[in-house]
Amino acid sequence: MDISNIIIMRNELSLIVVVLLLLMAEIFSSKNARYMLLNVATGLFALHTILGFLPTETGELFGGMYRSTPLIILMKNVLNIGVLVVLFQVQGWLKKPENNNRTLEFYLLTFSTLLGMSYMISAGDFLMLYLGLELATIPMATLAAYDVYRMKSTEAGIKLILLAALSSGIMLYGISLIYGTTGSLYFNEVMGNLQMNPLQILATVFFISGLGFKISLVPFHLWTADVYEGAPTNVVGYLSVVSKGASVFVLVAILFTVFKEMAPAWNPLLMVMAIATMVIGNLFAIRQQNLQRFLAFSSIAQAGFILLGMISGTTYGMATVIYFILVYVFSNLAAFGVVSIVKNATGKDNIDDYNGFYQTNPMLSMVMLLALFSLAGIPPLAGFFGKFFLFAAVAEQGMYWLVLIAVINTIVSLYYYLLVVKAIFVVRVDNPIEPIKGDLLARMGLVITVIGILIIGIYSPIFEWVQSVSFGL
Amino acid sequence: MGNEAIILFIILGTLMVGGAVIFSYLVSPKVPQKMKEDTFECGIETQGSSRIQFKVGYYLFAILFLIFDVETIFIVPWAVVMKDLGMVAFVEIVIFFFILGLGLLYAWKKDALKWE
Repeated sequence: MDISNIIIMRNELSLIVVVLLLLMAEIFSSKNARYMLLNVATGLFALHTILGFLPTETGELFGGMYRSTPLIILMKNVLNIGVLVVLFQVQGWLKKPENNNRTLEFYLLTFSTLLGMSYMISAGDFLMLYLGLELATIPMATLAAYDVYRMKSTEAGIKLILLAALSSGIMLYGISLIYGTTGSLYFNEVMGNLQMNPLQILATVFFISGLGFKISLVPFHLWTADVYEGAPTNVVGYLSVVSKGASVFVLVAILFTVFKEMAPAWNPLLMVMAIATMVIGNLFAIRQQNLQRFLAFSSIAQAGFILLGMISGTTYGMATVIYFILVYVFSNLAAFGVVSIVKNATGKDNIDDYNGFYQTNPMLSMVMLLALFSLAGIPPLAGFFGKFFLFAAVAEQGMYWLVLIAVINTIVSLYYYLLVVKAIFVVRVDNPIEPIKGDLLARMGLVITVIGILIIGIYSPIFEWVQSVSFGL
Repeated sequence: MGNEAIILFIILGTLMVGGAVIFSYLVSPKVPQKMKEDTFECGIETQGSSRIQFKVGYYLFAILFLIFDVETIFIVPWAVVMKDLGMVAFVEIVIFFFILGLGLLYAWKKDALKWE
């Protein structure tokens, strides 16, 4: 076998090196070096992220099982940035005394899941896709159960692993039907052999269901709220942004290439799921009191908006999906950053606890305001343009009624985002949360997200560049 | 549309599995006895509840045993054709052992191999 062009796999290789280095550090270092190693891990990952932006070759490896295109590299870079922001926010939580005997493991597990996502995105073959998916899922369950001393965290881990097993089973069934009807697992060969026969439609539905669990689309969303409430806040940030972003990307890329011929089958399906996801996510979010649960349902509703871009099926639609993920990474991580800083300092995560938050913590309040307004889609923040482009992609196809439903849902979502803003800025109480000073890295993470929220919306070449590497049906 | 095939697939699938269970229920002779309804456990009478807590150590050992299992699965086929595959395969298998070994070393360092 020729391995001279293995450099195509650079992103994964450097990540593997980072993981192995950290594992060796964990084995051979003394206990005193523990907190220093956290910074080393963050630094190594920052290097890895920067390395991802250097120009690289594209092509195929291992007989087409692994492939790399400019779009795939772009997506991996987006995920890397997301993880880097999560790593910035995480130290306040890892340095708690309860986590004394497991600090570096968080990095090992996170990087393992990221590695799985990278392989999932780069897969040129259903088997590779499935292996990547599993590598991205199993360490995720241990991350959700990281606070083993809390019952709820353990519960979240178990729920995640059980439902992941179920969704993997459904997806494998779909893949087996594809293999049965086409005789191949390679994307290139499957593509030419799909012709809308009933078994293949069933396979498509199963495949979408399997990934639907990961993206928490209605009706596969019920695990989301429990897992998001129980798992540690930083893990939830990772789960709701990076993991979801990777799955969305895989779904859109595969629907637009491999299942191209099946578009008449999956298009109405996605339409129904998009409407259901938006409506149910929004209606449930209104009544949430716990901020982590609230963000869980808000992320379900956002997933519904993302589906809109896929329905259009155009190059423009795909570009809007990827652009929206990019925006969503920064907005959601900013919100989770504030929640995690507050929770690590005080242990409070109910919306009522935030009453009068602006009186004592004006800076954190402003970041939260930006994040929530961006999620709701208020101009001139990035979230507005993300949503605007998504709606434009649907309107371009003449489906104005769908745009109307989406706009109504946006207005509903504005109501509950404003409820949180009201608690923070308007409500006055005598004993609000005391002034909190997050650690340096956490504040740096927030600064990055705020810059992202402000810049991405205004700087239009980003969208044009995303569009230049996207493809349609 | 050609949905007949898929409907037939679902109906036949349900009928075959359900039918087998129902059929065997209908035709099997039923002679209920106390002995027959007992839980079968190697011929020895069962005692107490089976819902007990057991040491997580068993589980850890089983998982660590997997390391050696996987190692064997890969090393035997590789060893058989080692000469034909040449240097590249050798380097690859060394990397593979290195990663597996690190995993074991990690478990060792974390006292997973200690039985208390």
